[in-house]
Amino acid sequence: MIKGTLVNLRARELTDIEQSARWAGDEELQRLMGDRYPQSRAATEASMRSYVSRPLSFDDPRFGIETRDGVHIGGLRLMDVSAEDRRARLAIIIGEAPYQSRGYGSDALRTLMSFVFGDMNLNRLDLDVFGFNARALAAYRKCGFVEEGRRRGAQYTRGAHHDVIIMSILRDEWAAQQAAGEVTR
Amino acid sequence: MIRGKLVDLRAPEMSDLDRNTRWINDREVTQFLSLRYQMSLAAEEAWMRDLVSKPLSYDRPFFAIETRDGVHIGNTNLFNVRPAVRHAELGIMVGEKEYWSRGYGSDALKTLLGFAFGEMNLNRVELFVYDFNARAQAAYRKCGFVEEGRRRQALYRRGAWHDLVVMSVLREEWASAG
Repeated sequence: MIKGTLVNLRARELTDIEQSARWAGDEELQRLMGDRYPQSRAATEASMRSYVSRPLSFDDPRFGIETRDGVHIGGLRLMDVSAEDRRARLAIIIGEAPYQSRGYGSDALRTLMSFVFGDMNLNRLDLDVFGFNARALAAYRKCGFVEEGRRRGAQYTRGAHHDVIIMSILRDEWAAQQAAGEVTR
Repeated sequence: MIRGKLVDLRAPEMSDLDRNTRWINDREVTQFLSLRYQMSLAAEEAWMRDLVSKPLSYDRPFFAIETRDGVHIGNTNLFNVRPAVRHAELGIMVGEKEYWSRGYGSDALKTLLGFAFGEMNLNRVELFVYDFNARAQAAYRKCGFVEEGRRRQALYRRGAWHDLVVMSVLREEWASAG
């Protein structure tokens, strides 16, 4: 359990399947996550079973996001973790609508950053976000992510190409944030 | 065979094995590639057997670069091809160093882009190049690639942090450049 202010990050569990399947079937969430095809319950369950049977590790860390009173509201995942380059790419979902736009996602991100830099000893955390996802862009900026490029037309959905924005935060930037007390954790 | 001006692109063959193994173990070549560790002949052979055992396709467009007089000088490929987005990433290696900076790589790029847009019907081709690889960046610009951003400190090589430069060329840019 990695403790944040509003949320905790914990290992994913088989009991998350119900909610994960529901989020995976939500058209708007799918669009924001860049998923295109509907997934069967069986496929979601199979991937979850195979994942939870392995210990969390440097190579493929995934977390369930829980409020401090134990409500499972979303998930977080690191991908393409490079030991030599000490970097990783993150993906986050807040699947439970009542918890969107209320600081839970930002708190999960800050909690993840303290783990990524403070415990995994990475140097860079980055992400790709679709240009149309204004809510996520605002949350990432608030957490200190910097826009470093725009991949033109690198996503296609609902009949049009969209830009994909590259954002990142470096270890030094995170440390300066901590020192300045900008992050109340 | 896809014909360029200085080079042709052809399917890879097992007879390329010794050259490929030599190139990917040459640190002057691999310093610019995401290849840090040395590769055994056996490991490279297994990889190539898998590569040549299937027909080249939309999912695996991998080509050997040959000069017009039949000298195999490198390889180039598209990967992470995403049909709904009509997008792919590009990789290229000119392993024979005497062919560096003489237009062979650029001609291979132009030939591959012609295929990517003209035959595979892609809309966007993207690549990541290391900030210290000025020669490659110049070649990519010459071929119409535009810098879209820099992934700061995304690479650790030669004992220091480096940026990854993100470049792409869109279909309409390629078409208007003729």
